[in-house]
Amino acid sequence: MSLQGGFEVDSEARMHEPPEIRLGGDVARAFAHYPPERAAHEIATHLRKFWEPRMRAAVVARVAQGDSRVDPLLAEAVRRYLAGDIDSGEIAEPSGG
Amino acid sequence: MTTTTPRSGGPAPGLAPEPDYGTPAVRGEATAGVTVDGRHVQVPPGTSVMRAAREAGIEIPKLCATDRLAAFGSCRLCVVEVDGAKGVPASCTTPCVDGMVVRTDTEQVRQVRHGVMELYLSDHPADCAGCARGSCEMQDLARRTGVAQVRYGLVDTPTATHVDGGAARDVSNPYFDYDPQACIVCSRCVRACADIQGTFALTVQGRGFDARIAPGPTDFLGSECVSCGACVQACPTDALVEKSVVQLGMPTRAVDTTCAYCGVGCSFRAEVQGSGPETRVVRMMPSKAGGANEGHSCVKGRFAYGYANHPDRQMHPMVRDSIDQEWRVVSWEEAVTRVADGFRAVQAEHGVGSIGGISSSRCTNEEVYVVQKMVRAAFGNNNIDTCARVCHSPTGYGLSQTFGTSAGTQDFASVDETDVMLLIGANPTDAHPVFGSRMKRRLRQGAQIIIADPRRIDLVRTPHVEAAHHLPLLPGSNVAFINAMAHTIVSEGLHDEQFLRERCEDVEDYLQFIVREENSPETTAEATGIPPEQLRAAARLFAAAPNGSIYYGLGVTEHSQGSTMVMGLANLAMVTGNIGRPGVGVNPLRGQNNVQGSCDMGSFPHELPGYRHVGLDDVRDIYESLWHVTISPQPGLRIPNMFDAAIGGTFKGVFVHGEDIAQSDPNLHHVRQALTSMDLVVVQDLFLNETAKYAHVFLPGSSFLEKDGTFTNAERRLNRVRPVMPSLVGKDEWQIVCDIATAMGYPMHYESAAQIMDEIAATTPTFAGVSFARLDEEGSMQWPVNDKAPHGTPTMHVDGFVRGKGRLVPTVYVPTTETTNRRYPLVLTTGRILTQYNVGAQTRRTANSTWHPEDVLEMHPADAQMRGISTGDRVELSSRVGVTTLTALVSDRMQPGVVYTTFHHPVSGTNVITTENSDWATNCPEYKVTAVQVAVANAGRADLAARAGTDTVDPVAGVADAEVARR
Repeated sequence: MSLQGGFEVDSEARMHEPPEIRLGGDVARAFAHYPPERAAHEIATHLRKFWEPRMRAAVVARVAQGDSRVDPLLAEAVRRYLAGDIDSGEIAEPSGG
Repeated sequence: MTTTTPRSGGPAPGLAPEPDYGTPAVRGEATAGVTVDGRHVQVPPGTSVMRAAREAGIEIPKLCATDRLAAFGSCRLCVVEVDGAKGVPASCTTPCVDGMVVRTDTEQVRQVRHGVMELYLSDHPADCAGCARGSCEMQDLARRTGVAQVRYGLVDTPTATHVDGGAARDVSNPYFDYDPQACIVCSRCVRACADIQGTFALTVQGRGFDARIAPGPTDFLGSECVSCGACVQACPTDALVEKSVVQLGMPTRAVDTTCAYCGVGCSFRAEVQGSGPETRVVRMMPSKAGGANEGHSCVKGRFAYGYANHPDRQMHPMVRDSIDQEWRVVSWEEAVTRVADGFRAVQAEHGVGSIGGISSSRCTNEEVYVVQKMVRAAFGNNNIDTCARVCHSPTGYGLSQTFGTSAGTQDFASVDETDVMLLIGANPTDAHPVFGSRMKRRLRQGAQIIIADPRRIDLVRTPHVEAAHHLPLLPGSNVAFINAMAHTIVSEGLHDEQFLRERCEDVEDYLQFIVREENSPETTAEATGIPPEQLRAAARLFAAAPNGSIYYGLGVTEHSQGSTMVMGLANLAMVTGNIGRPGVGVNPLRGQNNVQGSCDMGSFPHELPGYRHVGLDDVRDIYESLWHVTISPQPGLRIPNMFDAAIGGTFKGVFVHGEDIAQSDPNLHHVRQALTSMDLVVVQDLFLNETAKYAHVFLPGSSFLEKDGTFTNAERRLNRVRPVMPSLVGKDEWQIVCDIATAMGYPMHYESAAQIMDEIAATTPTFAGVSFARLDEEGSMQWPVNDKAPHGTPTMHVDGFVRGKGRLVPTVYVPTTETTNRRYPLVLTTGRILTQYNVGAQTRRTANSTWHPEDVLEMHPADAQMRGISTGDRVELSSRVGVTTLTALVSDRMQPGVVYTTFHHPVSGTNVITTENSDWATNCPEYKVTAVQVAVANAGRADLAARAGTDTVDPVAGVADAEVARR
C-alpha cells in the first residue's frame, strides 16, 4: 500500500468499475492514512451517514462475492458495518454536503 | 430648455431615488456639532459639510459629488459660507469641525452658483432629451439655482460646445449609449469606473473646451469597459444613459428585490413601467442599502434581465408519452395529474425509493423548502438533492467537520479589514464581479493578495492591483499546496499557539502530521509545480498578516479531494488564528444566487433543513409531528447516485426543478443514458433546456421578477425577492409543487410564500428569528437569526466554534486517479466568464452574448504551437469519455500542459468531456481535472450546430461572426 493508500489506481480500469466499487475506493483512499482499525471505522461511519441503502447493499454484495476490485480497506469497513460496529453518535455532528 | 417648464422633471411618485448624501459616510462617533442654516446636527469629525447639511435636511446643489465616491471638488456648485472662513468653500471637500456655523443660501452663495450654472448650461444642449425625460439633472439644477437665462448664448450649434461637432454618439455598447455632447466633464463616471468598479476604463481626454470622457482610444464595446453600469448610474446628465431608458422612457414604479445571478446576491431596485402582466422593466438600479453590494452591480445583474420575456420562454405546461414525440400543451390540472399519477405508478411498480427530486439553487428558499418537503412527505423518501452537489457540497462537508457548520464565516464587508487575502480556485472579477470590485478596492488601499490558480486570472495583475504572489499550481494538487502552506507556517514557528490551545482540538495530531517531510514545499513541489521558495514566502506573508483571510471557489471544491481541501483551508485559518473577527475567515464564494439557501433548506439527501442529519430522531420528530408523516432515517440518493441507480434500473422517475442536468453535469453521455432509462422525467424551467429533451412533462416556471420569497447569498444573508409582476404562467412555483404533492395524496397548502418562511423559522433553529416582516424591517439578515442574534450574525465563531472547539483534521494528499498519459497529455480545467452565467440559459438570451458568443479553449502558446494550432482554429478536445469541438484561444494566461474552457454553451458540450470522477466525501464532480488531448478539428460548424439541439439560441442578431471572447 502506498502513502496514498488503497490500490494504485488505473484510470482506464476505473471507468469500467461499478459505482459502489469506484466510490467506495475513493472513500477508502481518503481514510487510508489512519491506522487500519480507525480507518475501517471511519469508512464504515461514512457509508452509514452518506450512502443510500441500495448503494450500501451493492457494496455489501460485492464484498460478499469477494470481488477482487474492492479495496481491502473498504472490504474491512463493510464487514464492520455489517457487524453494526459503528458509533452512531457520530451522526449527531452536523454533517454538511 | 432654460425657458421651458419641466415636462417630467423630478421622479415619478413612489420612485424617489435613494437619498444621496453627497460624500461617503465617515466612521466614528458623532462628536462634531455643526449648525447649518440654523439647524444643529452632530456628525463624526471629518464628515463633509455637504453630508452634514443633508443629514440636517438641507440639500446643497451638486454636480460632481455623490456619496458613492470620494469628494472631488470640481463643479463649484456646492459652495457655502462658513463663519470665520474666507470666501465660499466647496461643501463637499470641507470637513466639519465642532462648532462650525455654515450658511448654504446667502446672496454671495447664490451668485456664485448662478454663475457656475450658467456656464454649465452654456455647454448643455438646449434640446437635451434627458432633461425632457427626467433622466438628466441639469434642468432640475437650473431651476434650483434660479438660472432662467444664459448670458453666453445657448447651444444651438454643435460647434459652440466644448465638444466638437464630429463627436458622434457612441452606441456600440448593447446596453447604454454615450453622447459626448451631453457630457459636462464632471468626472463622476471616470471616478465610478476607478473607485467603485476598479476597472479604470474611462479617462478624461483633452483639455479645456476639448475635454471629454473617453473609454480609451476606442469605443465602449472595444474598450476595457466591463459594462457594470456604474458610470451610467453616476452620470448626472444624459451623456451616459441606458438604451432601455431612451427606448421606453422613465420608469413609473419601483420594487426592491434581489438579483437572480451569482452568489453575491446584489440588492436591486427594479424600475418598471405598467402593472400586472404588462409590467416592463426599464432598468435595474443597484441599491445602496443592499448589504451585499452597497450600490454596485455587474453586467449580468444590471443589464441581463431580458431573458425573462425572451420569445423562447415557455408559458404552458406540456406533456408527451415518449421523448421522441412532439409536445402537447395541456392545462395545469392535466399536467399536475399526469405528474402525480405517473410518480405513483412508478412507485407502485418499482418501490418507494424509485423516484426523487432535484431542487434548484436558482429558486427561492420557500420554493426549495416545499420541493424537499414534497420529496420527503409525498414521495416518502430522501431522494432529494440540489445542484450544490456539483459545486459547493464539499464546503458543507469540510466546514462542518472542522467548524461545525457549513456556513462561510464572514460578511463581504469583512474584506475591508483584511490585510492579506489568500485567493484560491476562484476568479471573482469574472464570477463574483461585485465582490471582485470590493476586493480590488481593498487591494488598492494596501492589502495584499496571494493567488493560487493554474491560470493567470485578472486579479494577478490589473490596474493598480498586483498580487504579492501568483502560485500557478497544477490542477489536482490543491491539498499538497495547502499542506505545504501550513507546513511552512508550523515548522517555522509562525502559527498562533494561543488560538490553537484555547479554541481547537486534535491539535497535537495535526501538528505532528503537518510537519512531516511529505508536506514540505520542497517535497510537494513535484505535485504542485510551485517553486518551494515562492511558496514559503507566500506562507510567511499570510502568517504575518494581522488579519489573513481565505477566499475560495469551485477550484477548491470540484476535485476528487474537494472536501479534504476545504478542511485544509479551515486548518490553515485555525493554525494562523484567523477566525472569529472581521477581516479574516474562510469564505466560500458560492456560485448561484441561492445555492447557500438551497443547502440550508434541506436539499441534501441526508439532511433536513438546517444541516441536521435525517438519522437524528429528535430532528425527524419535529417534522414528523408537523407534517404528519414518517420520515425515512436513511440518507437518499445524491444526483450522481440517481444517475447510477437509473442506469441500474432502480430509479425510474425524477422531478427536476430549474436545473439543467443534461448540460451542467459531468459525462453527459452517462447523464443522457440515465435520463433515457427513466419512465417519468418532469422538468420545470423557464425554457426548454437540454434536460427537457428527455422529459415527459414540462412545467413552465416563473422568472425572479415574478417571485415572492427570499434568496440567501454567500455571506448567509437572506434578501427579499419581491415580485414586480405576477407569475406569467399563472401559478407560482411553490403552488405547483404543493399541487403535485396534494394530487399524490399528501395535502400541502400555504396561503403565501411568507407562510412557508414561517414554517421554516418554526422548525429550524438557525432561522428562528426570520420572517418576511422582519426582513422587510431590517432590509436583510445573516443567519443564524435567533434570540441570541436577533439582527443576524455577520461573523461566525466569535467566541467559540459552532461545534465548540475547532477541529483540526489531518489532510493527507491523495492524487486524483484522473491522470495524464501519452494519449491524454493535457489537463483540462474549467471556469466561468464575466458576461455568461453557468449553463447560459439566461445570459445567452440577452445581449451579453455580444462579448462571449461561444466557449473557447484557452491554451498556452507552447502547447498550441506543437499542435499547429492558432487562435480562432477549430480544435477537437477529447478525453477518456468524450470528444467535442471548440475554437482555440492561444494565451499565455495558461501554463504549459493545462487548457481551460467554460461551460456556458450547450453547443460546445464541455461536459461531454468531463468524467464521473468525484469528491470522495460528497460526489461533487471533479470538473477541474480532466486528462485531454487537443488537435486541429476537421468538423465544420454546421455539423456542430446540428448536434446542438433545441437550447441553442441565436443570441443576438449580428454577433454570430463576432470575434472570440476577449479572454
